[in-house]
Amino acid sequence: MIRIRGLQKSFGTLPVLRGVDLDIADGEVVALIGRSGCGKTTLLRCINFLEEYDGGEIRLDGEPLWYRAAADGRRHRVSEAEARRMRQTMGIVFQQYNLFPHMTALENVVLGPRFSQHVPAAEADALGRRLLTRVGLEAKISAYPAQLSGGQQQRVAIARALAMRPKILLFDEITSALDPELVGEVEDVIRALLSDRIMMVLVTHALGFAREIAHRIAYLSEGSIVELGTPAEILERPKDPTLKEFLRRMR
Amino acid sequence: MPPGSFGLLVQGAAVSLALAAAAIAGGTLFAIALTPLAFSRFAVVRALYGLYVYVVRGTPLLVLALLVFYALPALDLRTGPYIAGTLVLVLYVGALFAEVFRGGVLSIPRPQWESARSLGLPPLAKFRKVIAPLVTRYTLPPYVNVCVMTVKASSVLSIISVWELTLAAREIIERTLAVFTILGVAAALYFVMCFGVDRIGRWLERRLMLRGFVGERA
Amino acid sequence: MSFARWVAIYGPTYLTGLGWTAVTAFGAAVGAIVWGCVLLLLRLAGPRWPARAVDAYVQLFRNTPVLLPIYIVYFGFPLVGLPWPAVICGGLALVLQNGAYVSEILRGGLKAIDRVQFDAARSLGLTPWNTFRKILLPQVLVYSIPALGSQVVLLLKDTSLLSAITVTELTMQAKLLTEQTGAAYEAFIVVALLYLLLVSTTEVMFRAAHRAVRWR
Repeated sequence: MIRIRGLQKSFGTLPVLRGVDLDIADGEVVALIGRSGCGKTTLLRCINFLEEYDGGEIRLDGEPLWYRAAADGRRHRVSEAEARRMRQTMGIVFQQYNLFPHMTALENVVLGPRFSQHVPAAEADALGRRLLTRVGLEAKISAYPAQLSGGQQQRVAIARALAMRPKILLFDEITSALDPELVGEVEDVIRALLSDRIMMVLVTHALGFAREIAHRIAYLSEGSIVELGTPAEILERPKDPTLKEFLRRMR
Repeated sequence: MPPGSFGLLVQGAAVSLALAAAAIAGGTLFAIALTPLAFSRFAVVRALYGLYVYVVRGTPLLVLALLVFYALPALDLRTGPYIAGTLVLVLYVGALFAEVFRGGVLSIPRPQWESARSLGLPPLAKFRKVIAPLVTRYTLPPYVNVCVMTVKASSVLSIISVWELTLAAREIIERTLAVFTILGVAAALYFVMCFGVDRIGRWLERRLMLRGFVGERA
Repeated sequence: MSFARWVAIYGPTYLTGLGWTAVTAFGAAVGAIVWGCVLLLLRLAGPRWPARAVDAYVQLFRNTPVLLPIYIVYFGFPLVGLPWPAVICGGLALVLQNGAYVSEILRGGLKAIDRVQFDAARSLGLTPWNTFRKILLPQVLVYSIPALGSQVVLLLKDTSLLSAITVTELTMQAKLLTEQTGAAYEAFIVVALLYLLLVSTTEVMFRAAHRAVRWR
């Protein structure tokens, strides 16, 4: 499970996260929603330390991530090697340009296992093929990203994230840049992942999809979680006025 | 540093600059005459343009210079090395400028041509008010690059006995063996000249853009 | 004598010059690309002194003619106890000069890679070395091939300047033949044609290479 306490981050003088608290239980799916600039993407990127944060802590299964308290009481960044090790427990899929264009789908998927986790080539290969079949792209194993549609690229990106056997999956608006008719195939893949009971955090604007698969939805505004609850609570019985306004705009 | 050599080097630099200036002026005029050939209706004319550019760009400047250097006396033209050198540079740099202009014309976005045509302007006004400003706008950066290249190319003329900065430096070195100092100063002088040309170019760019020109940056 | 006869008689002697030109150009090109990669790596070390040093280096070599490094190495190295052969001196100067341009070309290729790829590489836990080796370098090289081709052509033409330091490449060969036979036109026209041949061959090779490794 993930425990986030008091997460703070500023870009220069601009505060973006003002003390975020969030718990994610094993197998739980949490959706992060909110207006642009509310900090949801920054929060996601702090979880796997693509962004450094100024205060607060993140724990995975009890182990503090990214910073350690030193003897002098201050916190120190973990070493790059440690950070890399920690990142391997997480998978992330971005909005676009996920895949390395000079590698085939299979090569993209096996890259992490082979070079970060030192899985032997044959085993990584078999794993990659299994995962690509699982996301419905068995026929595209040797295709290059330029030969794939946006939806197919995102599915390969999901397979690539899964190949690391992560404890948590992070999705940063992964269907926002897709043509509408391609969104469904990506959402199908995520639905199928629910049975794996991996923790998932989705930053999304697709409220219908969030309602369907999220156990809880967190609404962020100006750098903190203003309201947190089940999809029914957040989407049908919102309490916060800014949340009501946000939902009204999104309809 | 050997006495008097700094003065010699500065004189050499002045000569280099003069050669470059003459070549740039001559080359630009030559290119203005040359570029339209690239857009001629006649395939033969276009081919001749292509051949000229191909030969000038595919042959080292030194070889072109030696060809002209040996060819002129054969044609009974007793010109000094300076004239021969400038001529070579004009022929060389002219081809480069012509390609810059050609590229600039080609990179003007279609809608801008079409707007010009829709205005129904007479040819001369169209050229002055629309084509020339547009072409200038899109060709200024590569044009400035070629100008800097011209300053550097002038050093090649030293090999055909044109006295300028590089030859001045080489002569001093062969006399005094103060290799690093002399060549260091020569490098600094070239740097100042090239960097100066580049800066002037950027200043011009900024001025043109500030004239309320609403073109996109190509 | 007629042009054709002259070529028939003296043609083969050009082979020495041609050989030297080709070998020097090839060696210097490889050296310049390697050196350019090194400079790029140094520059990627961020806003610390290596990056600044590389910037200064590039600016210096962009704003000075290539004859100067050639003279500095050829005349200067013997003075500091390195009396290397002229062709090595010339080759080194060409590598130093062209390496600067290569690093700029590679930098442009680098900009063509989307930032998200580096985020993805970090998220996969790739070490910086692996990220460089498997993600950055392959893409940079492919994006840079056309511009690198142009630069190699320029380098090829610059080998003619080595005739000024007594290297017996093509241009020197032409000068020697002119002195021997007095046939200036023939000598230099043949040399010009040979250069055109070398340049065109190089361009064709690079275009083919680009087509071969492109993935779109």
